[in-house]
Amino acid sequence: MLRVVKPKNARSKRALEAREPKEVEDPRTVIFVRGSHTGEVVGSVMKELMALKRPHAISFSKKNLVRPFEDATSLEFWAHKNDASIFVLGQSTKKRPNGLTIVRMFDGKLLDMCELGVDQFVSMDAFKTSKPQPGHKPMLHFASELFDTHPRFIQLKSLLMDLFNGEVIESIYLAGLEHVISVTVAPLPGQLASASGDQDSGSLPIVHVRGYGTKLLASGQRIPRVELVPMGPSLDLLLRRHQPADPELWKAAMRRPKLKKQDVEKGLGKKRKNLEVDEMGDLRGRVHVAKQDLGKLQTRKMKGLKVRAGEEEEEESESGGGGENDESNDTRPMKRKKEKGV
Amino acid sequence: MDVSDILASQISKHKSILVEKDVPLDTDVGFLTVTDPSVVDKESYDHDREAYLQSTARDGIQHLLAALFSLPTLPSPEGPLAQLPPPTTQLPRAKPLPKPKPPTKWQRFARAKGISSQRRDKKIWDDERQAWVPRWGWRGKNRDEETQWLHEVPANADADHDPSKEARVARKERTAKNERQRLQNVARAQQGRTTATATGTQVDRKRDINRTLATTRMSTASMGKFDRVLDGEKKLRGVKRKFDPIEKSVDAEKSANLALIKQIGNGAPGGSSLKKVKRDGLDSESGGNGGAGGVVNVRKAVRFASGGQGAAALARKSVVGSGSDGRQKRRGKR
Repeated sequence: MLRVVKPKNARSKRALEAREPKEVEDPRTVIFVRGSHTGEVVGSVMKELMALKRPHAISFSKKNLVRPFEDATSLEFWAHKNDASIFVLGQSTKKRPNGLTIVRMFDGKLLDMCELGVDQFVSMDAFKTSKPQPGHKPMLHFASELFDTHPRFIQLKSLLMDLFNGEVIESIYLAGLEHVISVTVAPLPGQLASASGDQDSGSLPIVHVRGYGTKLLASGQRIPRVELVPMGPSLDLLLRRHQPADPELWKAAMRRPKLKKQDVEKGLGKKRKNLEVDEMGDLRGRVHVAKQDLGKLQTRKMKGLKVRAGEEEEEESESGGGGENDESNDTRPMKRKKEKGV
Repeated sequence: MDVSDILASQISKHKSILVEKDVPLDTDVGFLTVTDPSVVDKESYDHDREAYLQSTARDGIQHLLAALFSLPTLPSPEGPLAQLPPPTTQLPRAKPLPKPKPPTKWQRFARAKGISSQRRDKKIWDDERQAWVPRWGWRGKNRDEETQWLHEVPANADADHDPSKEARVARKERTAKNERQRLQNVARAQQGRTTATATGTQVDRKRDINRTLATTRMSTASMGKFDRVLDGEKKLRGVKRKFDPIEKSVDAEKSANLALIKQIGNGAPGGSSLKKVKRDGLDSESGGNGGAGGVVNVRKAVRFASGGQGAAALARKSVVGSGSDGRQKRRGKR
């Protein structure tokens, strides 16, 4: 573990403060690490992914003896040292040729990882198109039902989204959307149940990753028609080993900040009940009114009906009615009536 | 004049922007991501893979762009910026949520008293200079009193009275006080962070100090009787004896008595080590002498019998002499 440094001057203090946890996080920095043997294919794959990921990418271009599935200490050290939270490791061995491992960290600790085998690779240079500017965000497209059902593919989607587009942004310049990364899963070889097939990676279908450039054409409406042009890189990936996240660490990583009061009023977080926007864009609300108590209804005021200060209690006791105290009062008129009758 | 032909030709120039899918696409506009949950069409995939991948991607992206272009926009120097909604997909954070800072002593006091403090601006208006100047620091306003060219001197001032120096000392004192308070706040925050463990050590420390103080007070020649008493010093009190109530419930009495009997049987667990050693010694002696009850001192007897050679030598002798005395032999083996 690195020693905890106390800043000695204002500049290093600012630098340390910039690394402290924030409510809205900075974009993740990705470190591209070469393993003990990388090979030509994986080397160029990493180079191109890094070109897409710039400027939030760091290259470790020397050979590194790193085996993430066995020992993650050096990854944790690098993550701490470089303030990075995703690694892409390239390693080619006889047993697992052209391996590409995506490792995600949380709080300087390893969260989860997935090893991919590069089956086919076509470089960006093979396509004669303009390449995306550094810092431009890609649009992501995932196509398969497995991205919602199969745990391996759910993890892969989460990792790829974090790798390319994990940053929360408030606004975007729409004309600057100039490239697309499309991830499609090949049709299933057999029947692949959502839960099973977790152990045997061999039966998992290939994943096609394609890079496209966009061309926006006029459509006569506000929304343009989009045409895609292959731009590269295009990769065919095999799913190999993986390590799911530790449930407790995952829970800690998924903790969200408390919503601000104004955000709750805006309708974020909790669903706003009985409010809807109609076709005209007006906000319409539905109000529920409790049943009205007609007994308390104020009718016409007259002097004779006015309750005076002294009388109030007596009236209440009479209206309460039927008490034993009232007997003496009641009997008198009754007697009178009888007398009259006689 | 019939314009329908013109309209139709105009429409046919543009390709459709409508996307028709059996399963509705799942868009996350905040992350610029679209997910197509429909099953892959195996036939067209096998027929022309790249074309199929591109066409599905195009459909998805068209859907996403439709959502993006219908977002409200704000003007900016570069062009209109679409205001993105917060993302719906939950991705793990890279670092844990920031912990709220513990309030300073003043903040706590202000909250308790209901004082709403307004932040002081760093800059302050200087009438002489006709500019906003820093309240403190480089060319700060708080140094005006030291640097002014004319000072008011009180009538009863000393001959070496230096008003500029005095103002400087006062300012330095204020700074030092603020720093001291800041450090205290930091220390308090540090303590609060480890409350669970700190309370235990704090209690221990207090007890230790009290004990040490009591010992020192008793450690004078008069055992603290004729010592000078400091202001506010309390009389040293020992431990007050506590007695059980005379009347107890039958159950409680029974269990207490049983516990006592058990202690007698086992030997008191709370007894000192010295007592324990003594008792152990007695037990072993009584065992060795066959219930003689500790009348014979075994160690002395062995020394006498072996002529100061010890138990081992005695045992050797007894084996050679084919067991003249059974009692001695047995003792020798021990």
